[in-house]
Amino acid sequence: METKDSPKTGSSNKKKCCSKADILNYLSTLWVIYTKELRGFLCVPFGWVILTCTMGIQGLMLQAVLETMTKATGNGVMYYMTDSLFFLLLFIFIFPLITMRAFAEEERLGTLEGLLTAPVTTTQILLGKYLASYTFYIILWLPMLLYPWMSELGNLYTQIRYGEQAETTITYMMSDWFGAYAILGLTGAFFVALGILCSSVTRSQIISAIFCTCLMIMYYFMGRVTELWGEFPAAPIFHYISCTEQFRSFTSGVIDTRPVVLYITMTICILALTKRLVDYRRWTR
Amino acid sequence: MVVAEHLHKTFGRFTAVKDASFTIEKGEIVGFLGPNGAGKTTTMKMLTGYLPPTAGTASIAGWDILDNPVESRRHLGYMPENVPLYDDMRVTDYLIYRARLKGLRGSDIRQRVGYVLDTCGLDPKRKNLISTLSKGYRQRVGLADALLSKPDLLILDEPTNGLDPNQIRQIRELIRSLSENHTVILSTHILSEVEMICNKVIIIDQGEIKAADTPENLTRGLRAAGRVSIEFKGDLDTVVQELEAFAPVKKVIVEETQPGDWHRLLIRAEPGTDTREKAAAIIAAHGYATRHIYRHIPSLEDVFVEMTRRD
Repeated sequence: METKDSPKTGSSNKKKCCSKADILNYLSTLWVIYTKELRGFLCVPFGWVILTCTMGIQGLMLQAVLETMTKATGNGVMYYMTDSLFFLLLFIFIFPLITMRAFAEEERLGTLEGLLTAPVTTTQILLGKYLASYTFYIILWLPMLLYPWMSELGNLYTQIRYGEQAETTITYMMSDWFGAYAILGLTGAFFVALGILCSSVTRSQIISAIFCTCLMIMYYFMGRVTELWGEFPAAPIFHYISCTEQFRSFTSGVIDTRPVVLYITMTICILALTKRLVDYRRWTR
Repeated sequence: MVVAEHLHKTFGRFTAVKDASFTIEKGEIVGFLGPNGAGKTTTMKMLTGYLPPTAGTASIAGWDILDNPVESRRHLGYMPENVPLYDDMRVTDYLIYRARLKGLRGSDIRQRVGYVLDTCGLDPKRKNLISTLSKGYRQRVGLADALLSKPDLLILDEPTNGLDPNQIRQIRELIRSLSENHTVILSTHILSEVEMICNKVIIIDQGEIKAADTPENLTRGLRAAGRVSIEFKGDLDTVVQELEAFAPVKKVIVEETQPGDWHRLLIRAEPGTDTREKAAAIIAAHGYATRHIYRHIPSLEDVFVEMTRRD
């Protein structure tokens, strides 16, 4: 009933060629994994709960910022938003939540076995999961796209209420807003990779989440070491990796290339390490 | 179809599989037998490429599992033990996802998914969430998944584990019908199952392959092959003495004595001999009655016990 062409035994040791069809095939398999993972965020309540919580906290952030801006001025909305305590809280706990399921859940259910015995490579699985988590992370920040428009609306209201001469109360610049998205995207790329790494070392989501949170907190506070110890010979390293400082410069509209390089290389390193770990853990089972 | 060369697997100090070499031809249904923890699952997982072997290698349809893992998996359908599935997906969605993952595209997907749903009797449950399925249906989803890409080789780890007798029968029929187009490797504890469907048996114990042959060849020349059970009414000692004097008989064991002077004997004789006629004649010569006589047909169970017992 079904016929199958005979395999090319002779070519079994031939090196893989990279024709256009091969690359397309590779990408389409990656796409299959990516869409499945993304559906795992958007087609179950889990993702929407996170999205709702994030939007709630973003609302609180904005509220706090508007409060602050009645006293302090000179910087844009984005600057104050990413400088607030709410943001820190959100930023540290969002990554474990997004990434804790990636590999831990597959391993607990045993479905990793099915995935790894399908004709796909570990890299495809990893990239599919990574990109899906990253996409979901970006989706979480999309509501902020409304802020410039909301600021306009607020200013317009002020002008209508108090007349043409009234000062604009909410200052923002498109550059701040762009910078904010750039740094959120960059740090996010790294932290999502870190979360996936944590998820690949355990079969328990809780342990994965705790592990990731610890790493996040460590990394974040390493950037604030100079605030405690002052300047010392090794201080430039801590300045270099300081999230706080990076956020401040980016949200003031200064696009610094050093964090760009830092986060892109770190992301690639962490993903390569994760790939190794996923393969390695199969050896020991 | 499958060539395993010196497969070896150690977990730390524990050796799970020792130097396993075997070949499986196209169209064979091979049963992996062995006690718990013998290394059946490990060997199968190595063939699928999920567990990398510590030493040695294997090839599936000519593709080496280490050099060309993706290509070799393309020829493989694997159903793991306990059938792990995504509980939050619906049966059809899951199968479509797996089909796409296995490289099926376009109209092939609908056609194959429809075919496996039909073949595995999943049609009534196609819209169900996997978490609501019973064990038997989960097992079928696993089997359907393994069949999706028309693989040359099917590796099924305990496919009938946890099913009720009717379901076991259905799955067995299904596997038998699959052998027309696929080579099948399955592992199981149920020996009668292997006897019914497999045309080759590989017995593993403590990580070593003890035998790899057809069930007929294995049962031939077994110690259990010449055994005869007999029940008669009369004087025990006379009959035992006369039976033991008969050449191919090695030993006569009295198994049971029932009220009314009925005795049940087990006669151990050389393999391949038939002592029934002579035994009946001896008993009849004394004028005693016989009510049961039976020559053991050696089963895989006997082979299994002989090869894997520890004493």
